[in-house]
Amino acid sequence: MAYQLYRNTTLGNSLQESLDELIQTQQITPQLALQVLLQFDKAINTALANRVCNRVNFKGSLNTYRFCDNVWTFVLNDVEFREVTDLVKVDKVKIVACDGKNTGNAAE
Amino acid sequence: MEQNNSLPPFQGLASPQGAMTPGMPIFSPMMPYGSGLTPQPVTNTNSLSLLEEQQRQQQQQQQASAQQAGVPGGLGQTPQLYHSQTVTTTTLPGNTPLYTATPLTPMTPITPATPASESSGIVPQLQNIVSTVNLGCKLDLKTIALRARNAEYNPKRFAAVIMRIREPRTTALIFSSGKMVCTGAKSEEQSRLAARKYARVVQKLGFPAKFLDFKIQNMVGSCDVKFPIRLEGLVLTHQQFSSYEPELFPGLIYRMIKPRIVLLIFVSGKVVLTGAKVRGEIYEAFENIYPILKGFRKTT
Repeated sequence: MAYQLYRNTTLGNSLQESLDELIQTQQITPQLALQVLLQFDKAINTALANRVCNRVNFKGSLNTYRFCDNVWTFVLNDVEFREVTDLVKVDKVKIVACDGKNTGNAAE
Repeated sequence: MEQNNSLPPFQGLASPQGAMTPGMPIFSPMMPYGSGLTPQPVTNTNSLSLLEEQQRQQQQQQQASAQQAGVPGGLGQTPQLYHSQTVTTTTLPGNTPLYTATPLTPMTPITPATPASESSGIVPQLQNIVSTVNLGCKLDLKTIALRARNAEYNPKRFAAVIMRIREPRTTALIFSSGKMVCTGAKSEEQSRLAARKYARVVQKLGFPAKFLDFKIQNMVGSCDVKFPIRLEGLVLTHQQFSSYEPELFPGLIYRMIKPRIVLLIFVSGKVVLTGAKVRGEIYEAFENIYPILKGFRKTT
Protein backbone atom coordinates (compact mmCIF):
# COMPACT_ATOMS: atom_id res chain seq x y z
CA MET A 1 0.00 0.00 0.00
CA ALA A 2 1.74 3.14 -1.19
CA TYR A 3 1.38 6.54 0.43
CA GLN A 4 -1.83 8.34 -0.49
CA LEU A 5 0.14 11.49 0.09
CA TYR A 6 0.11 12.58 -3.51
CA ARG A 7 -3.65 12.63 -3.99
CA ASN A 8 -3.75 16.23 -2.78
CA THR A 9 -1.46 17.58 -5.49
CA THR A 10 -2.32 19.38 -8.71
CA LEU A 11 -2.07 16.11 -10.60
CA GLY A 12 -3.89 14.08 -7.99
CA ASN A 13 -6.65 16.63 -7.57
CA SER A 14 -7.23 16.86 -11.31
CA LEU A 15 -7.55 13.10 -11.42
CA GLN A 16 -10.01 13.07 -8.53
CA GLU A 17 -12.11 15.80 -10.13
CA SER A 18 -12.21 13.93 -13.43
CA LEU A 19 -13.20 10.72 -11.70
CA ASP A 20 -15.94 12.55 -9.82
CA GLU A 21 -17.30 13.86 -13.12
CA LEU A 22 -17.33 10.37 -14.58
CA ILE A 23 -19.13 9.09 -11.52
CA GLN A 24 -21.73 11.88 -11.82
CA THR A 25 -22.43 10.94 -15.42
CA GLN A 26 -22.66 7.30 -14.41
CA GLN A 27 -19.85 6.29 -16.72
CA ILE A 28 -17.89 4.56 -13.98
CA THR A 29 -18.66 3.15 -10.58
CA PRO A 30 -17.26 4.65 -7.37
CA GLN A 31 -15.50 1.36 -6.75
CA LEU A 32 -13.69 1.70 -10.04
CA ALA A 33 -12.73 5.28 -9.17
CA LEU A 34 -11.22 4.03 -5.92
CA GLN A 35 -9.20 1.43 -7.83
CA VAL A 36 -7.97 4.14 -10.17
CA LEU A 37 -6.83 6.22 -7.25
CA LEU A 38 -5.02 3.29 -5.69
CA GLN A 39 -3.26 2.66 -8.98
CA PHE A 40 -2.41 6.32 -9.14
CA ASP A 41 -0.80 6.09 -5.71
CA LYS A 42 1.41 3.24 -6.79
CA ALA A 43 2.32 4.88 -10.08
CA ILE A 44 3.19 8.28 -8.67
CA ASN A 45 5.27 6.76 -5.87
CA THR A 46 7.35 4.63 -8.22
CA ALA A 47 7.65 7.46 -10.74
CA LEU A 48 8.97 9.89 -8.17
CA ALA A 49 11.28 7.29 -6.75
CA ASN A 50 12.75 6.09 -10.04
CA ARG A 51 12.23 8.62 -12.78
CA VAL A 52 12.95 11.91 -11.09
CA CYS A 53 16.47 13.08 -10.39
CA ASN A 54 16.26 16.86 -10.14
CA ARG A 55 17.66 18.47 -7.06
CA VAL A 56 16.10 21.52 -5.47
CA ASN A 57 17.47 23.36 -2.45
CA PHE A 58 15.32 25.47 -0.23
CA LYS A 59 16.06 27.71 2.69
CA GLY A 60 13.72 29.61 4.96
CA SER A 61 12.78 30.22 8.57
CA LEU A 62 10.82 27.66 10.51
CA ASN A 63 7.49 28.77 11.84
CA THR A 64 6.07 25.52 13.17
CA TYR A 65 6.78 21.81 13.01
CA ARG A 66 4.89 18.67 13.91
CA PHE A 67 5.75 15.00 14.00
CA CYS A 68 2.93 12.52 14.52
CA ASP A 69 2.21 9.10 12.96
CA ASN A 70 5.63 9.28 11.34
CA VAL A 71 4.60 12.27 9.27
CA TRP A 72 6.45 15.55 9.48
CA THR A 73 4.54 18.78 8.82
CA PHE A 74 6.50 22.01 8.57
CA VAL A 75 5.42 25.57 7.95
CA LEU A 76 8.25 27.77 6.72
CA ASN A 77 8.29 31.51 6.05
CA ASP A 78 10.22 33.56 3.51
CA VAL A 79 11.49 30.54 1.63
CA GLU A 80 13.77 30.53 -1.39
CA PHE A 81 13.55 27.50 -3.65
CA ARG A 82 16.73 27.25 -5.60
CA GLU A 83 17.31 25.09 -8.61
CA VAL A 84 20.39 25.35 -10.81
CA THR A 85 18.35 27.23 -13.37
CA ASP A 86 16.15 29.48 -11.30
CA LEU A 87 15.01 30.87 -8.00
CA VAL A 88 11.50 31.10 -6.55
CA LYS A 89 10.63 33.03 -3.42
CA VAL A 90 7.53 32.45 -1.33
CA ASP A 91 6.20 33.91 1.90
CA LYS A 92 4.81 30.73 3.32
CA VAL A 93 5.17 27.08 2.47
CA LYS A 94 3.68 24.01 4.10
CA ILE A 95 5.66 20.81 3.78
CA VAL A 96 4.17 17.40 4.50
CA ALA A 97 6.75 14.65 4.49
CA CYS A 98 6.52 10.89 4.92
CA ASP A 99 9.29 8.44 5.53
CA GLY A 100 11.27 7.64 2.40
CA LYS A 101 12.13 4.09 3.34
CA ASN A 102 9.51 1.82 1.99
CA THR A 103 7.07 0.95 4.71
CA GLY A 104 3.74 0.96 3.14
CA ASN A 105 1.30 2.54 5.52
CA ALA A 106 -1.03 4.67 3.54
CA ALA A 107 -0.73 8.10 5.03
CA GLU A 108 -2.61 11.13 3.83
CA MET B 1 31.11 29.68 68.27
CA GLU B 2 31.98 26.67 66.23
CA GLN B 3 28.76 26.61 64.39
CA ASN B 4 29.98 26.64 60.87
CA ASN B 5 29.06 23.08 60.17
CA SER B 6 25.75 22.87 61.87
CA LEU B 7 23.99 25.97 60.69
CA PRO B 8 22.25 25.85 57.38
CA PRO B 9 24.58 27.84 55.26
CA PHE B 10 21.97 29.86 53.46
CA GLN B 11 18.36 30.61 53.46
CA GLY B 12 17.50 30.33 49.86
CA LEU B 13 19.42 33.48 49.21
CA ALA B 14 21.62 33.78 46.29
CA SER B 15 24.69 35.08 47.90
CA PRO B 16 27.91 33.31 48.38
CA GLN B 17 28.02 31.29 51.45
CA GLY B 18 29.14 32.63 54.71
CA ALA B 19 28.62 36.30 54.35
CA MET B 20 24.88 36.21 54.62
CA THR B 21 23.80 35.21 58.01
CA PRO B 22 24.28 37.90 60.54
CA GLY B 23 25.89 36.59 63.61
CA MET B 24 27.33 33.55 61.99
CA PRO B 25 31.02 33.28 62.38
CA ILE B 26 32.40 32.66 59.00
CA PHE B 27 35.93 32.43 60.04
CA SER B 28 36.81 29.33 61.87
CA PRO B 29 40.44 28.51 62.40
CA MET B 30 39.48 24.89 62.83
CA MET B 31 38.48 24.50 59.22
CA PRO B 32 40.96 22.31 57.40
CA TYR B 33 42.13 23.97 54.28
CA GLY B 34 40.62 22.58 51.15
CA SER B 35 38.43 20.02 52.79
CA GLY B 36 35.83 20.58 50.15
CA LEU B 37 33.23 20.17 52.83
CA THR B 38 32.61 23.66 54.02
CA PRO B 39 33.54 27.04 52.80
CA GLN B 40 36.67 28.93 53.38
CA PRO B 41 36.25 32.16 55.23
CA VAL B 42 35.97 35.12 53.01
CA THR B 43 35.09 38.72 52.99
CA ASN B 44 33.00 39.17 49.97
CA THR B 45 33.97 41.81 47.55
CA ASN B 46 31.51 41.09 44.83
CA SER B 47 28.72 43.53 44.35
CA LEU B 48 26.00 41.17 45.51
CA SER B 49 27.45 40.78 48.90
CA LEU B 50 28.47 44.40 49.18
CA LEU B 51 24.86 45.33 48.79
CA GLU B 52 23.86 42.71 51.28
CA GLU B 53 26.54 43.88 53.68
CA GLN B 54 25.15 47.36 53.57
CA GLN B 55 21.70 46.08 54.23
CA ARG B 56 22.95 43.82 56.93
CA GLN B 57 24.76 46.70 58.53
CA GLN B 58 21.53 48.63 58.59
CA GLN B 59 19.88 45.69 60.22
CA GLN B 60 22.72 45.38 62.67
CA GLN B 61 22.22 48.95 63.68
CA GLN B 62 18.55 48.33 64.20
CA GLN B 63 19.30 45.29 66.20
CA ALA B 64 22.03 46.97 68.15
CA SER B 65 19.48 49.34 69.53
CA ALA B 66 17.15 46.49 70.32
CA GLN B 67 19.99 44.62 72.04
CA GLN B 68 18.80 41.11 72.42
CA ALA B 69 17.15 40.89 69.05
CA GLY B 70 15.23 37.82 68.11
CA VAL B 71 17.44 36.64 65.35
CA PRO B 72 14.88 34.77 63.36
CA GLY B 73 12.81 37.90 63.18
CA GLY B 74 15.77 39.91 62.09
CA LEU B 75 16.66 37.42 59.48
CA GLY B 76 13.22 37.61 58.08
CA GLN B 77 14.04 41.08 56.89
CA THR B 78 17.10 40.02 55.09
CA PRO B 79 16.42 40.94 51.54
CA GLN B 80 16.32 38.32 48.92
CA LEU B 81 18.18 39.52 45.94
CA TYR B 82 17.16 36.59 43.85
CA HIS B 83 13.65 35.45 43.79
CA SER B 84 13.80 31.78 44.35
CA GLN B 85 10.87 29.48 44.00
CA THR B 86 12.10 27.19 46.70
CA VAL B 87 11.34 27.57 50.33
CA THR B 88 13.28 30.16 52.21
CA THR B 89 14.81 28.41 55.12
CA THR B 90 15.15 30.17 58.41
CA THR B 91 17.59 29.44 61.15
CA LEU B 92 16.98 26.25 63.01
CA PRO B 93 15.04 26.78 66.17
CA GLY B 94 17.77 25.30 68.26
CA ASN B 95 20.33 27.85 67.26
CA THR B 96 20.71 30.79 69.53
CA PRO B 97 21.73 34.04 68.03
CA LEU B 98 25.43 34.10 67.93
CA TYR B 99 25.82 37.68 68.81
CA THR B 100 24.22 37.45 72.20
CA ALA B 101 24.26 40.73 73.93
CA THR B 102 27.58 41.11 75.48
CA PRO B 103 28.48 44.73 75.24
CA LEU B 104 31.86 43.94 73.80
CA THR B 105 30.57 41.76 71.03
CA PRO B 106 30.96 43.66 67.81
CA MET B 107 27.60 44.11 66.22
CA THR B 108 29.00 44.84 62.83
CA PRO B 109 28.67 42.12 60.29
CA ILE B 110 31.21 39.46 60.64
CA THR B 111 34.23 40.77 58.87
CA PRO B 112 36.66 38.18 60.03
CA ALA B 113 39.65 39.57 61.78
CA THR B 114 42.12 38.30 59.25
CA PRO B 115 40.38 36.90 56.26
CA ALA B 116 42.36 34.08 54.82
CA SER B 117 41.31 34.83 51.29
CA GLU B 118 39.33 37.26 49.22
CA SER B 119 36.09 36.20 47.63
CA SER B 120 36.37 35.27 44.03
CA GLY B 121 34.41 38.13 42.58
CA ILE B 122 33.18 35.67 39.99
CA VAL B 123 29.53 34.73 39.86
CA PRO B 124 28.60 31.49 38.10
CA GLN B 125 25.97 31.97 35.41
CA LEU B 126 23.02 29.64 35.29
CA GLN B 127 22.82 27.76 32.02
CA ASN B 128 20.03 25.25 32.45
CA ILE B 129 17.19 24.52 34.81
CA VAL B 130 15.22 21.27 34.82
CA SER B 131 11.86 21.27 36.53
CA THR B 132 8.81 19.06 36.80
CA VAL B 133 5.15 19.75 37.30
CA ASN B 134 2.00 17.68 37.48
CA LEU B 135 -0.87 18.82 35.27
CA GLY B 136 -3.19 16.67 37.34
CA CYS B 137 -5.10 14.90 34.60
CA LYS B 138 -4.56 12.12 32.08
CA LEU B 139 -3.63 13.36 28.63
CA ASP B 140 -4.22 12.02 25.15
CA LEU B 141 -0.81 12.48 23.58
CA LYS B 142 -1.96 11.91 20.02
CA THR B 143 -4.52 14.71 20.29
CA ILE B 144 -1.88 16.99 21.70
CA ALA B 145 0.62 16.12 18.98
CA LEU B 146 -1.92 16.62 16.21
CA ARG B 147 -3.33 19.90 17.42
CA ALA B 148 -0.51 21.72 19.17
CA ARG B 149 2.24 23.49 17.30
CA ASN B 150 5.89 22.53 17.58
CA ALA B 151 5.26 19.08 18.93
CA GLU B 152 6.83 15.71 18.19
CA TYR B 153 5.36 12.37 19.14
CA ASN B 154 6.94 9.08 18.22
CA PRO B 155 5.52 6.49 20.66
CA LYS B 156 7.71 3.74 19.24
CA ARG B 157 10.78 5.64 20.37
CA PHE B 158 9.62 7.60 23.40
CA ALA B 159 6.34 7.66 25.23
CA ALA B 160 5.97 11.42 25.52
CA VAL B 161 5.20 14.47 23.43
CA ILE B 162 8.20 16.73 22.99
CA MET B 163 7.04 20.32 22.73
CA ARG B 164 9.03 23.51 22.42
CA ILE B 165 8.31 27.18 22.90
CA ARG B 166 10.41 30.12 21.86
CA GLU B 167 10.00 32.40 24.85
CA PRO B 168 11.48 31.33 27.23
CA ARG B 169 13.36 29.03 24.92
CA THR B 170 12.59 25.68 26.48
CA THR B 171 11.62 22.10 25.72
CA ALA B 172 8.97 20.11 27.55
CA LEU B 173 8.35 16.39 27.77
CA ILE B 174 4.67 15.79 28.33
CA PHE B 175 3.57 12.35 29.46
CA SER B 176 0.18 10.71 29.25
CA SER B 177 -0.01 10.57 33.04
CA GLY B 178 -0.20 14.35 33.05
CA LYS B 179 3.30 14.85 34.36
CA MET B 180 5.66 17.18 32.54
CA VAL B 181 9.38 17.94 32.52
CA CYS B 182 10.54 21.40 31.47
CA THR B 183 14.18 21.94 30.45
CA GLY B 184 16.34 24.66 29.01
CA ALA B 185 15.39 27.72 31.02
CA LYS B 186 18.10 30.03 32.32
CA SER B 187 16.46 31.01 35.59
CA GLU B 188 14.02 29.66 38.14
CA GLU B 189 11.38 32.19 37.23
CA GLN B 190 11.73 31.47 33.52
CA SER B 191 11.40 27.76 34.18
CA ARG B 192 8.19 28.29 36.08
CA LEU B 193 6.86 30.67 33.44
CA ALA B 194 7.66 28.24 30.65
CA ALA B 195 5.99 25.38 32.50
CA ARG B 196 2.91 27.53 32.90
CA LYS B 197 2.90 28.29 29.19
CA TYR B 198 2.99 24.60 28.33
CA ALA B 199 0.20 23.97 30.82
CA ARG B 200 -1.83 26.68 29.13
CA VAL B 201 -1.29 25.08 25.72
CA VAL B 202 -2.54 21.77 27.07
CA GLN B 203 -5.45 23.50 28.74
CA LYS B 204 -6.45 25.24 25.53
CA LEU B 205 -6.62 21.87 23.82
CA GLY B 206 -9.43 20.97 26.17
CA PHE B 207 -7.75 19.12 29.01
CA PRO B 208 -8.49 20.16 32.61
CA ALA B 209 -4.87 21.02 33.29
CA LYS B 210 -3.76 22.24 36.70
CA PHE B 211 -0.33 23.31 37.93
CA LEU B 212 0.53 21.03 40.83
CA ASP B 213 3.83 20.48 42.64
CA PHE B 214 6.09 22.56 40.48
CA LYS B 215 9.61 21.70 41.54
CA ILE B 216 13.02 22.56 40.26
CA GLN B 217 14.96 19.33 40.02
CA ASN B 218 18.34 20.44 38.75
CA MET B 219 20.27 23.61 38.08
CA VAL B 220 23.44 23.93 36.03
CA GLY B 221 25.84 26.83 36.16
CA SER B 222 29.17 27.66 34.64
CA CYS B 223 31.97 30.14 35.07
CA ASP B 224 35.59 30.85 34.31
CA VAL B 225 38.29 31.32 36.91
CA LYS B 226 40.50 32.88 34.22
CA PHE B 227 43.62 30.89 34.93
CA PRO B 228 44.76 27.40 33.89
CA ILE B 229 44.52 24.64 36.48
CA ARG B 230 46.77 21.69 37.36
CA LEU B 231 44.14 18.95 37.33
CA GLU B 232 46.71 16.27 38.13
CA GLY B 233 47.65 18.03 41.33
CA LEU B 234 44.05 18.51 42.28
CA VAL B 235 43.19 14.86 41.83
CA LEU B 236 46.19 13.84 43.93
CA THR B 237 45.29 15.94 46.92
CA HIS B 238 41.53 15.60 46.69
CA GLN B 239 41.21 12.02 45.59
CA GLN B 240 38.23 11.30 47.80
CA PHE B 241 36.25 13.87 45.86
CA SER B 242 37.83 13.89 42.42
CA SER B 243 37.91 11.61 39.46
CA TYR B 244 40.09 12.54 36.54
CA GLU B 245 40.47 10.25 33.55
CA PRO B 246 41.87 12.37 30.72
CA GLU B 247 41.60 9.52 28.27
CA LEU B 248 37.90 9.28 28.97
CA PHE B 249 36.97 12.89 29.53
CA PRO B 250 39.15 15.97 29.62
CA GLY B 251 37.53 17.43 32.72
CA LEU B 252 38.05 16.58 36.35
CA ILE B 253 34.82 15.50 38.06
CA TYR B 254 34.73 16.90 41.58
CA ARG B 255 31.91 15.64 43.79
CA MET B 256 31.58 18.14 46.59
CA ILE B 257 29.88 16.78 49.70
CA LYS B 258 28.57 20.00 51.09
CA PRO B 259 26.74 21.30 49.26
CA ARG B 260 26.10 18.21 47.21
CA ILE B 261 27.22 19.54 43.85
CA VAL B 262 29.22 17.99 41.04
CA LEU B 263 31.77 20.25 39.41
CA LEU B 264 33.48 19.67 36.08
CA ILE B 265 36.81 21.41 36.20
CA PHE B 266 38.82 21.93 33.05
CA VAL B 267 42.41 22.78 32.39
CA SER B 268 41.38 26.05 30.79
CA GLY B 269 39.91 27.24 34.05
CA LYS B 270 36.32 26.80 33.03
CA VAL B 271 34.09 25.23 35.65
CA VAL B 272 30.66 23.66 35.25
CA LEU B 273 28.54 23.14 38.37
CA THR B 274 25.52 20.90 38.42
CA GLY B 275 23.19 19.05 40.73
CA ALA B 276 21.82 22.04 42.58
CA LYS B 277 18.26 22.36 43.74
CA VAL B 278 18.65 26.04 44.58
CA ARG B 279 20.78 28.82 43.13
CA GLY B 280 22.64 29.32 46.39
CA GLU B 281 24.12 25.83 46.21
CA ILE B 282 25.84 26.70 42.95
CA TYR B 283 27.27 29.88 44.39
CA GLU B 284 28.30 28.17 47.60
CA ALA B 285 30.01 25.35 45.76
CA PHE B 286 31.92 27.77 43.62
CA GLU B 287 33.05 29.83 46.59
CA ASN B 288 34.22 26.60 48.18
CA ILE B 289 36.19 25.44 45.18
CA TYR B 290 37.72 28.75 44.20
CA PRO B 291 40.46 28.90 46.85
CA ILE B 292 41.27 25.28 46.12
CA LEU B 293 41.61 26.03 42.43
CA LYS B 294 43.78 29.02 43.16
CA GLY B 295 46.10 26.67 44.95
CA PHE B 296 46.45 24.64 41.79
CA ARG B 297 46.96 27.45 39.38
CA LYS B 298 49.33 26.61 36.56
CA THR B 299 52.34 28.85 36.64
CA THR B 300 53.94 28.02 33.30
